[in-house]
Amino acid sequence: MTFGEWVKTITFYEILVGMKSTLKHLINYKPVTLQYPHEKRTLPDNYRGMLALLRYDDDTEKCVGCDLCAAACPSRVIKVISSEVPGEPTKRFAKEYSMDMTRCLFCGLCVEACPVDALAMTREYEWAVYDKRELLLNKQQLLAIGDRSFQVREKRLELQHPNVAFFNVSFKELPQKPS
Amino acid sequence: MLLEKYTDHINEILSRYPVRRSALLPLLNLAQREDGYVSESAMKEIARILRLTPSQVYEVVTFYTMLNLKPIGKFHIQVCRSLMCALVGSDTLVGWLQARLGIRPRETTPDRLFTLSTVECLASCGTGPMMQVNEEYYEQLTEEKVDRILADLKRDGTCSLKSGPFMFPQPELQQVKR
Amino acid sequence: MADVAIETVTLTIDGVPVTALKGTLVIEAARQMGVMIPHFCYHPKLKPDANCRMCVVEIEKVPKLQTSCSTPVAEGMVVRTATTVVNEAHKSILEFILANHPLDCPVCDQGGRCDLQDFSHESTPTTSRFVEVKRIFQKEYFSPLIETEMNRCVQCLRCVRYCDEVMDVKALAPSGRGTMTEIKHFSIHELDCEFCGGCVQICPVGAITSRLSMYEFRPWMLKRADTICTYCGDGCQITIQTKENELIEVNSSHGAGRNNGDLCPRGFFGYHVSTHPDRLQHPLIRRNGALVQTTWEEALEFIAETCLSLKLAHGPTAFAGLIASRCTNEDLYVFQKFMRLVIGTNQLDSSARYGHINGVRALLRVQGTHRWTIAFEDIVSAHALLLVGTNITETNPITGLKVKEAVKKRGAVLVTVEALQPAIGTISNITNLAAHHVTAHPERFGDAVLGLIKGVVEEGLVDPSLTQRAPEYVKAISEAVRCLPWSAIEQATGSTSSALRAAARAFADAPRAVILVGQGVLRAPGGSGVTTTLLDLLLLTGHHGRPGCGLAPLAEENNDQGAVEMGTVAEFLPGPGDLTDQAVRERIAGLWKEELPQTPGRTLMEILDDARAGTVKVLFVVGENPVGTLPHAARAKEALERLELLVCQELFLTETAALADVVLPACSYAEKSGTFTNTEGHVQSVRQAIEPVGESRPDWEILSALSVLLGYPIEYREPREILKEIRSLISGYGLLGPAPIPPRPDAAVVEGYLKKGFAEDVTSRYSLSSSTDRQAGNLTLVVAQSLFHSGKLSTRAKGLLELQKAGALALNPADATLLGIAEGDQVRLSNARGQMTTSVQVRDRVPEGQAVFPEHFDQEVRRLLSVSPDPQTGAPYFKTTQVKVEKV
Repeated sequence: MTFGEWVKTITFYEILVGMKSTLKHLINYKPVTLQYPHEKRTLPDNYRGMLALLRYDDDTEKCVGCDLCAAACPSRVIKVISSEVPGEPTKRFAKEYSMDMTRCLFCGLCVEACPVDALAMTREYEWAVYDKRELLLNKQQLLAIGDRSFQVREKRLELQHPNVAFFNVSFKELPQKPS
Repeated sequence: MLLEKYTDHINEILSRYPVRRSALLPLLNLAQREDGYVSESAMKEIARILRLTPSQVYEVVTFYTMLNLKPIGKFHIQVCRSLMCALVGSDTLVGWLQARLGIRPRETTPDRLFTLSTVECLASCGTGPMMQVNEEYYEQLTEEKVDRILADLKRDGTCSLKSGPFMFPQPELQQVKR
Repeated sequence: MADVAIETVTLTIDGVPVTALKGTLVIEAARQMGVMIPHFCYHPKLKPDANCRMCVVEIEKVPKLQTSCSTPVAEGMVVRTATTVVNEAHKSILEFILANHPLDCPVCDQGGRCDLQDFSHESTPTTSRFVEVKRIFQKEYFSPLIETEMNRCVQCLRCVRYCDEVMDVKALAPSGRGTMTEIKHFSIHELDCEFCGGCVQICPVGAITSRLSMYEFRPWMLKRADTICTYCGDGCQITIQTKENELIEVNSSHGAGRNNGDLCPRGFFGYHVSTHPDRLQHPLIRRNGALVQTTWEEALEFIAETCLSLKLAHGPTAFAGLIASRCTNEDLYVFQKFMRLVIGTNQLDSSARYGHINGVRALLRVQGTHRWTIAFEDIVSAHALLLVGTNITETNPITGLKVKEAVKKRGAVLVTVEALQPAIGTISNITNLAAHHVTAHPERFGDAVLGLIKGVVEEGLVDPSLTQRAPEYVKAISEAVRCLPWSAIEQATGSTSSALRAAARAFADAPRAVILVGQGVLRAPGGSGVTTTLLDLLLLTGHHGRPGCGLAPLAEENNDQGAVEMGTVAEFLPGPGDLTDQAVRERIAGLWKEELPQTPGRTLMEILDDARAGTVKVLFVVGENPVGTLPHAARAKEALERLELLVCQELFLTETAALADVVLPACSYAEKSGTFTNTEGHVQSVRQAIEPVGESRPDWEILSALSVLLGYPIEYREPREILKEIRSLISGYGLLGPAPIPPRPDAAVVEGYLKKGFAEDVTSRYSLSSSTDRQAGNLTLVVAQSLFHSGKLSTRAKGLLELQKAGALALNPADATLLGIAEGDQVRLSNARGQMTTSVQVRDRVPEGQAVFPEHFDQEVRRLLSVSPDPQTGAPYFKTTQVKVEKV
């Protein structure tokens, strides 16, 4: 045994090396756990939170009731009942739109499927409820989520792009669909 | 009604064709000469004469640009916009006419004098840019010529600048040669 | 056809040798071997147009790509459908098409079943080299039921060609040229046509869609049920598409059913009946004079109690039953079994009595069959067709299409004897296609038929073998027609003798000839006689009994034929077997293990008479509506009011049901399973599309439940069991194949008819109808079926109401001018029985001296009509009368 080794042995040097991290934290304490209700984590940019329906800048709904979100959904969360907009012949919209968020797995396929970007995932996640039925969201609730999450709205789509000829436009001079 | 007015003429037209429907274009031509355009009642009547549905007559009328569906002005200005004339400036010619008359192609002036339209080749390729007013040709047009033609037409109903339809070589050149 | 030698050629498609019939197109040959060549403008029903260029393929030794939809197969041809060159061509064609397509698939009803979408997914990149602005058409109003979005159009012109080639309506036209071609009706006018929905069905993209179901669905959500349409006797297969128990739309796929995928407005737009808000949802019972809602138990127990006590007091002859022939065979069968066994009476009848029975009785008499001896295929391949009193486009539109196909595609000679005259109109007119046409007065079809027979006899067209076989028959008829002077026939029919002779010759010379008889004959006085005379015509020309030839009475209601075969008419037992035939009775009694009642059957009019006289005290009515069908002169309401118990099984509270003591809610065809027998005798299955509305139940279930309460249970678990029992009575009934196997005429019966049978009424049949010359200023009012309505339910279908909401009197322009009436004017119709006012339509196709009114809006008109039952068959005649027409 050399002198150096002897010193290391009597001073428990190896243990001190092992304890270095511990001792550092002992002196310089910084908690890892977030104190959740009081502190909140910064979310990544592509965070997939609560789903929401959006509106255009003139307060009209973006959704055209095309049902593609329902078709894309792997767990059958979405139910759309589409029809012609009352008073706006040949324009399509979702008369009823509901989401059963108890089943949603936040995969975002519906958002990708939406041809008019009417669906979006917000950064909301605090949706714990006492009654599961509160997670059955109707169109008004989903629009309200969209309204509070997205202050900046898109301009209305109609004839916005020259190649989107007459996309879901109403023709006021035509009669309404026979009922 | 056409049939009452031109009974013999219509019968003569019908007698020319083994298939009744073939008489459609001559009859439409007749209707257009009568009113200056093909009216809805004329189309219905022709359909009755030829045992067609009105839609079958309508499709033919819309196919041929020479047949008008709307009443036209006293002078129907047809500007050739095919390649040859386009190369020598038929677009500019249309621009002049638009500015002078205040109408766009396929429109009629409020005083019902002029109707402007653009058409395909009028077989006067050597003398472009050119236009046809009713049955007469006006060729090698310049801004001054257009002004004169319009003024003359307004005043006299005709214009001395009218020419051909001539094939190339032009008449004056032929005279020089001789 | 057997008389054409079948030639085949062998070619290679994608390396696989294929044998195809000569003349087959390459695209069809490829389809047969399972290669789908993409296409837009090609459709098997239409002539090739080759305008979309999508179906190009490579053919060896041909320098350029060829359109497979217009190239017939040739021996040794080598076709490649999936080479790089072909794929590149497809891509560039799609790129051109998509240069102008708006790509609004999310809001397009065709999205999900769109050919353009499918082909684009297969072969194009998602980007386009076109940066130009897309074309945009001015949006114009097209029609209340059909929506056009011309920006989506790929200009394949399938709709235009279908409208012309198949439907013969020619209402659609491509207007404009080049890329700005758009499909229009006439100028900016609203579409006015047959509304067969063919353009909607045939459009490969979403340019023409149904406005009725617009935006209610996406194709992948729909549940399909293949069932049979109930609007006429043609028995078209329809696919009812539902979404969560809601009726969304109806269509019929190409090649499906007897209709081959073609439909009429009633089939395509008339499906909303089943979910009409007025449907009866609960049983109703009369308390203190008013119908109030009750429970099934209470209603059925009340009926059972009343029936038992009345049966005890008056015996089974106090009971009678009426059923609509719109019910399934199973319902009809259980109904007659219920009446015969549980009640013990033969007093039952069905709506086949209104006319179809006339045709059946004539067929039974002459050739011993109760059905057609031909099928639709024989109509298509006939060389000559004789239509008598059919107005076929309006009454049996799909049989009409078979006639149109025979004439337009196969060049058959058409002879028409109709109460119509050739004229171009908004709906197709079969007389336009006729080579020989006789404009007959609606009461004098028989005279025109006699004229034709006289023509056959005088032109020497009588079959020589028949003259040998039955000399007396030929002699008797020849003499009978010789006695008829041409002048009288000419006066009665308005045709010249030479025209009639020419028509007779055209008919007699054809190798295969078919006669179609319609309601004009069957529902007019002497209907059975005229039908027999038409069979004489077939016998005389030697067509009778030849394959592919025969006489076909057209059924008006979807299951008229079934009603006859299930024995729900006064004179027949199931089979149909004659009620008085001991052998049949014993066989049925053996199978039912019960004696059959001995009482004679009573026809519809007799039952009403009995009720009025008080001998019938209880009436079961299933779906039938005598009060709303028969004219006031029949006094049906009075008869039903005298009954002690009237039980109605109905969908709606009809005029008859409103008088009932108990109304039981029944299921419509969309809510039950079973079978229908169409006019040609083909038994087809009806499948349930939606759950029963409210508490309604199928008719057979109601009757079955009643039978238990009445102490004689007839119980079945499901309709299939009933069909099994029917098959034990009529062997092989409803084997549900793709096409019927028509029976052959019974040689013994034909022989009997030729020897003796004809003689009993030959003089009365071979005399001209007594001339009832109308008085000056009077018109013959004809109450006729319209294209847009049929049966007892169509006036509740919102789509059909959109097409025709009210009745109007159709007049010939000459008559209108004479009376000083213009289109839309109000007129007063009056005769000795009453008067009414209505508006006028001026129509070229109505012959002079006639005024046509649609029968579905005849509430007022029925006051003017008289009713007379046929002396032989008891069919009530009430469709024509004389009226004075004045402008109001």
